[in-house]
Amino acid sequence: MDATTIGQAVGQLKTYILDNIRHNTLLKYTGTPLLNEKQLFFLLLPKLNGEVWTEETTTSAMTVGIVHASLAEHDKIHETDATSKEQQLTVLSGDYYSGRYYQLLAQTGNIELIRRLSEAIVDRCEHEITVYEREGRNFQDWVVVLTVIETALIERFFYVYQFDEYLEVMQEALTVARLNRELHALLAGKPSIYVSCMQFSLEKQAVEKELQQEISKRKQTLNATLEASTYSEALKEAIVDIVS
Amino acid sequence: MEKMKLKLLYADLKSDIEVIEKELETALNSSSHLLNDASLHLLQAGGKRIRPVFVLLSAKMGRYDIERVKHIAVPLELIHMASLVHDDVIDDSEMRRGERTVKAQWNNRVAMYTGDFIFARALEHVTVIQHPRVHQILARTMVEIVNGEVIQIEDKFRLDQNIKDYFRRIKRKTALLIESSCELGAIVGEVEPENIRRLKRYGYFVGMSFQIVDDILDFTATDKELGKPAGSDLLQGNITLPALLLKDDPHVRPYIDKVIEGTLSEEERKEMLKLVRRSDAIQEAAKISDKYLKKALKEVEALPSHPMKKKLRDIALFMGKRKF
Repeated sequence: MDATTIGQAVGQLKTYILDNIRHNTLLKYTGTPLLNEKQLFFLLLPKLNGEVWTEETTTSAMTVGIVHASLAEHDKIHETDATSKEQQLTVLSGDYYSGRYYQLLAQTGNIELIRRLSEAIVDRCEHEITVYEREGRNFQDWVVVLTVIETALIERFFYVYQFDEYLEVMQEALTVARLNRELHALLAGKPSIYVSCMQFSLEKQAVEKELQQEISKRKQTLNATLEASTYSEALKEAIVDIVS
Repeated sequence: MEKMKLKLLYADLKSDIEVIEKELETALNSSSHLLNDASLHLLQAGGKRIRPVFVLLSAKMGRYDIERVKHIAVPLELIHMASLVHDDVIDDSEMRRGERTVKAQWNNRVAMYTGDFIFARALEHVTVIQHPRVHQILARTMVEIVNGEVIQIEDKFRLDQNIKDYFRRIKRKTALLIESSCELGAIVGEVEPENIRRLKRYGYFVGMSFQIVDDILDFTATDKELGKPAGSDLLQGNITLPALLLKDDPHVRPYIDKVIEGTLSEEERKEMLKLVRRSDAIQEAAKISDKYLKKALKEVEALPSHPMKKKLRDIALFMGKRKF
């Protein structure tokens, strides 16, 4: 197992997902579906670490990627004006991907995963919508929101296939990766809606400091977990890459 | 008057519909107060609940158990509700059933989360049913509905389409979900395979008739009855059956052209509505709807003798003859 093999596995999963949600009209107007390679890597982590992995597990991992793509499409919808053809079809591309994930799992009869992914979508929507709720939330509350957005679906996938031992690493790494992204956007003067919400209760510099501290703290935890793990060096390096 | 008729039609199902309403409320319960508000807003706006009713009636043709059937009836209504929330974003609709839409009350993003939340709740609910065929049918229906909507957007403001294009569109947009309501209700009710097929076809024909009537009413009902401006479909570029039948009419065409150019004034909208209402196109469209209705009734006739047959017939007739 080396970096190339890992890259190839992620690339294969990506291709598999794209092939299964291909829709010519949607592709023409809304472009290639958004797939986060870091999330794809963690979906494959148990396989890359030698766990029993069948064709059915690949299909299931693929559907998790499809749900991520579906929700990512809906995140592209503008708050006030979605009247352009591109925006209208973006609403539908999210709905189409959502229907496809259900269809693929229905074909394999994996009703348990349909249920768990539905629960995760509910969880994610309930957290994502908090940016529009007028409630005072502290910095840690927003970290939880971002963690749920990044990890809830993969968490349910791990639960169904009893890959629980990978949960902590996945959650820490994907949360750090997201916080890194948020910090970079803030430093570039383009804070996301989540960081804008953090700024309701904290000054910009305080948010910056909190983000840096949170990233640093979580990296330390992650490094300790990785050191204690039996993952191959290539896997450890890949995870460190994701959070750096 | 129409609401009264519907109430009478649903009278025998009253206690079961109450179960469905309660389940809908429970299904939409969320830890997010905003999702709760948005979902409650939708529930309170009401609706005819025709999809659950078709599930119940079809299941009653077999071994009926509301505790099992509700896991099909509720998700179908939730899927319908979720697609309306997303449709309102696509159509930029401010009003539905006389109430402000979720996107108007809050914003498009809140509407997207609300729709996704309701879709997910629907699937969570339906997974109580372990029958893979149920999921395959429902999943196919969901995908086809979206395909229909994609086609609808592609066909917007296009006058070079024909009636076949229109039928293909409404089949996916409306008829499929009603067809699936009947089919899934019958499957869960363990109805004989031959009669499942009949109920499925019945649902399809009723769905086609229902949508044609809906498209007629968009021109003939008042703004108040519709809860939105009459002619909204055409104003949004949807060339429905009455518009298709009138696209070459020398009196109406100039107005349609103005709609396509985006220059139709409010005064002109009213003039156009008068012309459409007086035209033969409305009657012609009604005749086409009747043809579907007759086909639906024929399927009912072919079903074995059962007290529910009369109900299936009456509901089909109501759907095909309703005034708004």
